[in-house]
Amino acid sequence: MKEQAVINSLRSSVEHKTTVASWFNQFKPAAVSTLYAIGGLLLLTLFWGLLSGLVGKELPGPLATLKVFWQLVSDPFYDNGPNDKGIAIQLGSSLARVFAGFALGSLVAIPIGVLMGAEPVCKRMFYPLVQLLRPVSPLAWFPLGLAVFKHAGEATIFVIFITSLWPTVINTAFGVASVPEDHKIVGRAFGFSRGRRLRKILIPYSLPHILTGLRLSMGVAWLVIVAGEMLSGGIGIGFFVWDSWNALSLERVMSAILLIGAIGLLLDRGFDLLARRVSYES
Amino acid sequence: MNPKPISPVMSTCYLELRDLTISFATPRGRFTAVKNVNLTIPRGQIVSLIGHSGCGKSTILNAIGGLVRPTAGEVILGGVKIDAPGPDRGIVFQHYSLLPWLSVYENIFEVVDSVMTGKTKQEKVELVERFLRMVGLWEHRDKKPRQISGGMKQRVAVARAFAIHPQVLLLDEPFGALDALTKTSLQDELINLWSMDNQTETVVLVTHDIEEAILLSDKICVMTNGPEATIGEVIEVPIPRPRNRRELVHHPEYAKIHDRLLYLLMEAFAVRKRAAA
Repeated sequence: MKEQAVINSLRSSVEHKTTVASWFNQFKPAAVSTLYAIGGLLLLTLFWGLLSGLVGKELPGPLATLKVFWQLVSDPFYDNGPNDKGIAIQLGSSLARVFAGFALGSLVAIPIGVLMGAEPVCKRMFYPLVQLLRPVSPLAWFPLGLAVFKHAGEATIFVIFITSLWPTVINTAFGVASVPEDHKIVGRAFGFSRGRRLRKILIPYSLPHILTGLRLSMGVAWLVIVAGEMLSGGIGIGFFVWDSWNALSLERVMSAILLIGAIGLLLDRGFDLLARRVSYES
Repeated sequence: MNPKPISPVMSTCYLELRDLTISFATPRGRFTAVKNVNLTIPRGQIVSLIGHSGCGKSTILNAIGGLVRPTAGEVILGGVKIDAPGPDRGIVFQHYSLLPWLSVYENIFEVVDSVMTGKTKQEKVELVERFLRMVGLWEHRDKKPRQISGGMKQRVAVARAFAIHPQVLLLDEPFGALDALTKTSLQDELINLWSMDNQTETVVLVTHDIEEAILLSDKICVMTNGPEATIGEVIEVPIPRPRNRRELVHHPEYAKIHDRLLYLLMEAFAVRKRAAA
């Protein structure tokens, strides 16, 4: 009896070890890639330090930047009047504008994309237009936004709205247009109404494509917001970068660059996770 | 499982193909798949179209389904000319054609919901459950098509087509991609469903399997080779139902029909090898 108990406890401890090991193995690739990424980052920091040592005061080194970075993130919410706010308030304001413009843009872009993908007539009418307007820098729309909305904040949202249109329109149209005959024939053979065809065949099939479009749109929007806010001024991370340059604090500029990059990465990963959740396997 | 009584009234011509010709525009000019196909199918029969691949069997089926428009001639069902898909016809496609993002249950429900507009939600739900149980997939109702085997997928497709109570069931090489055992049980299930379901009476089956054609059909139409394929010969199968797979092969008619079909497919309408260049 006793031996049996010992054996059992031994067995369970072995099993426990194997589960820990398998748990570790599962995360091993991720851990290894993280190590590589840290290595790359260290290499860049080293190069940055060397360069700033050579150039002198013109380029702040990693340590000086880190100090300023720490100051910025340790008191992110302070508010000392219109031109002096914490970094979190600046970033929050930029994110709010990006999401507002992005949401409005998506609301317009997805239906247009579906129409273009489903109706050849719409595609022939709108596709040349999309091709004409897509290469235009969204900032070129800024004056138009100012003229219509009278406020720099709304004009920035308008610029993001324009930015968000094109990748989503193009990807949605592509997704809807590429629904396989095998799926479409189900709708035809069983007399699906227009709405049912849209809800049960076109949209589910194109959802991964739509999300790719949204992800690209969000990426470009996050690029454009910095430039847009340099023009609009007042508040936002773009304004913060420009304001820091005017105050001759390159440390703040470098810190802002790091934060902008980190948030951009997070946004992209968020969409990636979402895309994986909705993608079906046939 | 009783054979369907075919009353004299019901056995009059029900589904009719008149001089059916279908051609498609291709980059290299017009391609005529089938030409001058004439066929009358009485109500309540199972009729097979058999022939080599590419002979336009599926094209004829799609024309009956209303998915392809005849270039000339017409398809008449119950006295009415067909030019679009309709709830009176149910189709089982060669590649199942299930929607991969819907569960087994939803794949059938959406079709029932779309076609049977006169029924209440409760009636539709019951109908879907009944047919899922009939094909033995009620336990698998929440699975996605990718999670079930090919035979199960085809069961879903068959249940989907039967569930809308079509007057005519169209089957496009339904069991062609399945292994022999699965195929056998699905053929039996098909006959079961057909005998039980008193609303689906007429079945048109496209196949390239001689045994399947004899087992299932009242009438076998042998296609000549395409392009411009047509029905070369119609063979009646006067073997009484219910047919037992094992006894069937000893039936004197079976050997005769089997032999004739082999002759037609392998010699008379054989695929001619291109003369060596």
